[in-house]
Amino acid sequence: MEPSPQPMGVAAGGSQVYPASAYPPAATVAPASVVSAGLQSGQPFPANPGHMSAQHQIVYQQAQQFHQQLQQQQQQQLQQFWVERMTEIEATTDFKNHNLPLARIKKIMKADEDVRMISAEAPVVFAKACEIFILELTLRSWMHTEENKRRTLQKNDIAAAITRTDIYDFLVDIVPRDEMKEDGIGLPRAGLPPMGAPADAYPYYYMPQQQVPGSGMVYGAQQGHPVTYLWQEPQQQQEQAPEEQQSA
Amino acid sequence: MPDSDNDESGGPSNADFSSPREQDRFLPIANVSRIMKKALPANAKISKDGKETVQECVSEFISFITGEASDKCQREKRKTINGDDLLWAMTTLGFEDYVEPLKLYLHKFRELEGDKAAAGSQPPPPPSSTHNGAGVPVGYGMYGAGGGSGMIMMMGQPMYPPAASSGYSQQPPHHQMSMGGKGGAYGHCDGSSSSPSGLRRHDGL
Repeated sequence: MEPSPQPMGVAAGGSQVYPASAYPPAATVAPASVVSAGLQSGQPFPANPGHMSAQHQIVYQQAQQFHQQLQQQQQQQLQQFWVERMTEIEATTDFKNHNLPLARIKKIMKADEDVRMISAEAPVVFAKACEIFILELTLRSWMHTEENKRRTLQKNDIAAAITRTDIYDFLVDIVPRDEMKEDGIGLPRAGLPPMGAPADAYPYYYMPQQQVPGSGMVYGAQQGHPVTYLWQEPQQQQEQAPEEQQSA
Repeated sequence: MPDSDNDESGGPSNADFSSPREQDRFLPIANVSRIMKKALPANAKISKDGKETVQECVSEFISFITGEASDKCQREKRKTINGDDLLWAMTTLGFEDYVEPLKLYLHKFRELEGDKAAAGSQPPPPPSSTHNGAGVPVGYGMYGAGGGSGMIMMMGQPMYPPAASSGYSQQPPHHQMSMGGKGGAYGHCDGSSSSPSGLRRHDGL
């Protein structure tokens, strides 16, 4: 797959104008270059806020179209990703050499004190599952890298992917808060349709689920110091969550 | 299990981690990095902190799925976590897309191991491949045990129906436990499994 990089100007404009439905019209004044570049006649959509000017409505429509096109492109990349996974597994004949060491996987599984016995096939399944997980997480992170017109995948790209993807909620402790804030110029959400999450949903609100603190405590059981750090993190997240708002 | 039992396909590249215990918490960064590159264009680069972050995410993924599977085994009073338990846990935790490829993978693995177990009436000789190095005996022993386990499970009914189609949009209806939106999905998880898990782990402290 060779996704084409998106123009920075349009992407920036899109990210700034998109939240206009939630903010006063004054917020849309900033992307003046987008306004001057994209002027054309058109009928305003009834869905647009009535108090927006004609120019703002046009910019809003264009931003919406751009946003939808980018989302469709990313959805196609993900669909292609899963087709490739099935094709790759159908072609697999070697089950002795894995891309990830089984003994290490088993050791990580056994870090949970409740885990007693593990069948030999479990690490084999995990070796493939983790490979898929790494590939998908990397692909979603790279989407954010491209939106920012970079060629180096960084930690904040992974933070953005975690923020945008519901099934990655259990990972919010891994990346610090300030890494996620850099997501401001990217698109707010590019989730999969089957998840059915609202476009404006904030994953942080689901932080208090017990799985995350449990995982932290499991790691803490091995070493004294991480207990304090990992256990404090969820509380900190909870305190910050109500104050979190979308970058504008 | 000693570190020497690790059967890394790549060279050791954990020099940047100071303590062995820290090293054991993560998969080798060389393996993780190699897999990441398969998902990226040829001219893409990955920062070191990007690789390390994915390392941490993978360990968290393993613990997340394992915890759910372990809870299920305890409820059913079973001691051994098997492949089907992991697939069930992934479905429960929202990774439905993973289950179809992994079912195919597990099915093929069991076929291979089943053949080995049936053919071997005595301890099988170690494989001749030099690639596995010092890890050969332990690794092969694991597969032997897997063969026995596979035979046991073959007697049971498959947990999931066979799926010929690919693509996440064609999932069987009963797999879509996340329908009803995000809140509903998490509510279901909390009601059925998270609470016992939390209590158990609190006792551990």
